[in-house]
Amino acid sequence: MFDIVSKVLQGAGDRLHYHATTYLPSLLAALTLIFSFYVAAVLARWVLHKIFKGLTIDKFLRQSGVAYMIDRSGRLRASRLVAETAYWSLLLSGLLMGLSVFNTNLTTHMIEGFVFLLPKLVVAGLILLSGAWLSQYLGRGFLVWAVNEELPMPRRLAAVARVLIMFVAIVVAAEHLNFARNVFYAAFVILVGGAVLTAAIAVAIATGGNLRHMLEERRLHREERGERSLWSHL
Amino acid sequence: MPEMILPDEARRATEFLDRADIVIGIPSFNNARTIGHVVRAAYAGLAKYFPQWTGVVINSDGGSTDGTRDAVLSARLEDSHLMLLSTPMVAAHRLSVPYHGIPGKGSAFRLIFQLARNLGAKACAVVDSDLRSITPEWIDLLLRPVMFAGYDFVAPYYHRHKYDGTITNSIVYPLTRALYGLRVRQPIGGEFGMSARLVERYLQREDWETDVARYGIDIWMTTIAIAEGYRVCQSFLGAKLHDAKDPGSDLSAMLQQVVGSVFLLMQEYESVWEKSGPTAPAELFGFRFDVGLDPVEVNVGRMIQTFLRSAGELGEIWAMALHPATLAGVEELKGKAVGDPSRFHMEDELWARIVLDFACAYKRSPLSRGLILKSLTALYLARVASFVIETEAMVASEVEDRVEHLCLTFEELRPYLRRHWNNGSATEGGMDHVRHREQSITGRG
Repeated sequence: MFDIVSKVLQGAGDRLHYHATTYLPSLLAALTLIFSFYVAAVLARWVLHKIFKGLTIDKFLRQSGVAYMIDRSGRLRASRLVAETAYWSLLLSGLLMGLSVFNTNLTTHMIEGFVFLLPKLVVAGLILLSGAWLSQYLGRGFLVWAVNEELPMPRRLAAVARVLIMFVAIVVAAEHLNFARNVFYAAFVILVGGAVLTAAIAVAIATGGNLRHMLEERRLHREERGERSLWSHL
Repeated sequence: MPEMILPDEARRATEFLDRADIVIGIPSFNNARTIGHVVRAAYAGLAKYFPQWTGVVINSDGGSTDGTRDAVLSARLEDSHLMLLSTPMVAAHRLSVPYHGIPGKGSAFRLIFQLARNLGAKACAVVDSDLRSITPEWIDLLLRPVMFAGYDFVAPYYHRHKYDGTITNSIVYPLTRALYGLRVRQPIGGEFGMSARLVERYLQREDWETDVARYGIDIWMTTIAIAEGYRVCQSFLGAKLHDAKDPGSDLSAMLQQVVGSVFLLMQEYESVWEKSGPTAPAELFGFRFDVGLDPVEVNVGRMIQTFLRSAGELGEIWAMALHPATLAGVEELKGKAVGDPSRFHMEDELWARIVLDFACAYKRSPLSRGLILKSLTALYLARVASFVIETEAMVASEVEDRVEHLCLTFEELRPYLRRHWNNGSATEGGMDHVRHREQSITGRG
C-alpha cells in the first residue's frame, strides 16, 4: 500500500518537476517580456504625450469632428490618441512575444492567426473611423439644412442620416474582415433600399426650392402681403 | 485665370462696335417687368450727361424665360422727350447677351467687365434690373466721379426703408467699415461706377468661380477697391425702390454667399485690417434730399420662432463657432425670448461678437465653413427681429444713429477680433459649454 502511494506521489512529483522545468522558465520569460513591454508602453505613452502636446493635429481633430465623435466632450487630443495607440500596441506586442516563448502548437497558431488578421483589423478600424467621421460631418450638414428648411424633428433626421452612414461603414468593415457574410448580403439589400431613399431625398432637396416657394407664397398670401413685396436683405 | 468664353452674340457685337467709352451693365434674370425702365433710364442718362462719349448698355442675362431680353431690346426712348439742350453726338447702343457658367449676378458682371475691357471703355457702371426708382441722373452720379474726378470706384448712397437692407445694416456695413476703415454706407448696394483700371484688376482675379459668382460679387468689388487702395467715393442717388422680391429666394444661401465672401476676403486682406485705425467717411457726391419710401413689413414673431427652434437644435454647430462667453449670451437670449417675445432684445455687443466669432471660425474650420455659415441664419434673424422691435417707433435719422452705434461697437471689438483670429479656443470652450448644458439637462455630472 505504502509502495503504491509512494509511486503515485513519485509520479506526480516527476510530472510536476517535468512541467516546472519545461514551462516555468518559459512562463518566467513570458512574464518578464510582458512586464518589460508594459514598462516600455508606459514610457512611450508618456514621451509621445509630451511630444504631440499642442500640435496642429489637435486642431484638425476638433475641426473635423473626430474629437467630438470619439469623446463627447470634444477634449480628445492628438497627444492622447497617439500615446494610447502606442501604449496598447506595445502591450499587445509584449503579450504576443510572451506567448511565443512557450513555442507550442496552440500559441503558434494563436500568434499566426492574430498576425495575419492584424492588417485587416487595422483597415477595418480605419473604415469605421472614416465612416464615423463622415456620418458626423454629413449629419451636421443635414441638421443645419433641416433647421433652415424648417423641417420637423431636424435632430432626429440628422441622427437617421448619421446612423445610415455608420451602418454602411460597419457593413463594409465586416465584409473586409470576412465576417458574417450573410449579414453583409442582407445589409447590401438594405443598402440598395437606402440608396433609393437617398435618391428620393436628393430629388426632394432639388425640388425643395419649388416646394418651399409654393408653401411660402401660400403662407404669405394668408398672412401678410407686405412682407412679400419689398423686404430685401441685401 | 482663364477668361469667360464670350457668347457668339457678344463677340460679334463687340467686333461690330469696335470701341466704346462708357459701358453700363445690367445683370438680369426674369426681370421683364422692370428692366425696360432701367434700360430707358440708362439710355437717357448717357444721352443727357455724356453726349460726346460712345456708350453701350449691356444686359447680361442668366437665361430668363419671361421675355427680359426682348424687353431690353424693345425699350424705346424718344430723344425729344428728354428735352436735351444739345443733340447727342453719338448714339448709345444696346446689347442683350446671355452669360454662361455659374448662374448668378457675379457671372453676369464678369461678362459685362470682359466686354467693357474689349471695347476699351474708360468707365463702367452697373445697375440692378429690378429698380423702380432709377433715373437718368443715377448714370451721371455713378460715372462722373470716374470720368472727371479720377475716382476708381463709386458706391451708391441712398435712402432706404429702415427695415430694408438688413444684411447691409447688421453685418456688411459695420464689419467692412471696422475692418478697412472707410465708411461706405452701401457696400452691397448693387449700383456701382468703376474705372477701367479697376475693371482690369477685377478681371485679373482668380476667385470668380466662388461665391463671387453669385451674391458675393457686390462686397467683393467694394472690398477689393477699398483694401487695395483704389480711390473710392459715394454718390447720393435718392431713394432705392425695387421690384417685389421672390419670397422663395433662399435667405440662408444669400447670407452664406455674402458673408462667406466677406470672411474670405478678411483672410486675404488680413495685413490690411490688422493695421487699420480710426475710420474715415468716403467722400459723398450728389445733392442730398429726403424722399418718401415704400413701407416694408416684416414678421417679427416668425423670426423669433425660427431663432428659438434653431437654438434648440444647433447648439452643437454654434459651439464650433462661438466663444463660450458669446454662446452663453445666446443661451441667455433664448431664455428671454421664451419669456416675453415682445421684449426680445439682442445687444449690439453680443451681435458683433457673434459675427466676429463666425469670422474666426470660418478661418479656423475650412472643412465646415458651409455649415457654420448656414447656421448663422437663425442668429441673423434674431438680430433683425431685435432691430425691428427696437426701431419700431423710430424715424430714419434715429435708426441711422442705431446703425452708427452698432458700427462703433464693431470698431471697439477690433482688438477682440485680432486676439481670436489665430487661436482655436472658441471651439474648445464651446464644447465645454455644450457638455455643461447637456449635463444640466440630463441631470448628470
